Amino acid sequence: MAELDPGVLTTLVTIIVTGISIVLGTLTPAIVEGRAVLKALEGMARQPEAANDLRTTLFVSMALLESTAIYVLLICLILIFANPLLDRFF
Amino acid sequence: MEDFFPYVVFTIFGLPVRNTVVSTWIMMVIIVGVAAIIGHRRPAALELLVDFLLDTISTVMGRPAGLYLPFLGTLAVFIATANILSVLPAIPLPHSKMFPIVSPTRDINTPAALALTVFLSVYYFGIRSKGLRGYLKDLASPIFVLPLELISHLSRTLSLALRLFGNVLSTELIIAVIFALVPFIVPIPLTAFSMLTGVLQAYIFTVLATVYIAAGLEAGEAESTKT
Repeated sequence: MAELDPGVLTTLVTIIVTGISIVLGTLTPAIVEGRAVLKALEGMARQPEAANDLRTTLFVSMALLESTAIYVLLICLILIFANPLLDRFF
Repeated sequence: MEDFFPYVVFTIFGLPVRNTVVSTWIMMVIIVGVAAIIGHRRPAALELLVDFLLDTISTVMGRPAGLYLPFLGTLAVFIATANILSVLPAIPLPHSKMFPIVSPTRDINTPAALALTVFLSVYYFGIRSKGLRGYLKDLASPIFVLPLELISHLSRTLSLALRLFGNVLSTELIIAVIFALVPFIVPIPLTAFSMLTGVLQAYIFTVLATVYIAAGLEAGEAESTKT
């Protein structure tokens, strides 16, 4: 393996890790949100009179689930645009 | 890409003023102006908005919403306007410079300030409904849940701020990237989508704030008959 500048190596690893983590971090909440919507739609179809309550609860729980994906996104943005490792060590 | 993130426009008495703050001032003028014009011409339109907010808040809280409408309604209107503000075109300045109007919520400081007001208002409304002694007693009913309770207050404030910031930033970042690639027609559907998510985020922020405030008042059921 050729000699690699540590800064270049860190950038390379950061890019690869960011790609992997954004995929995993959006995949999981998307699947879970889909299950939540599925259940809520089933409930709405079964009891249309409860649709309003279900909708509010659905929005709130979707927002709470969504925030995990947002955390992943923020960490990826920090790694790409303001990488603390690059500033501190190199 | 350097223009995308908030930057300091000028300083007043050594205090740096970012472009998001200037956008907030423009937004305040727009909100007050539109409210004055609509209130003069078609008061029914404003009543529709107030009725919608009252209905939503009272559904979520399960009690009359009159006391909480000023705070939560302000949050809803402010965030909804702030999220869709970036569709406005840039303002031309002298010396052939441009001042682009950006969403104030793109800067982490604005969502953090909004989440802090929610954090403090939970205590305000809780103490107002139960009294200081009653509120503290409910907060620490077995004494060992007090630290957990405080940590959960802090962490939900953090998540409230980061959710709004992350959503707005991510949609606008996508638009900026697409605009750099294909600046013609293609960004328009994405802009429409960002307006939709912006209004949805305002709704979610308001509903979550309502839920948090309602959780602080839980035992104060008898007080609700007064409003």
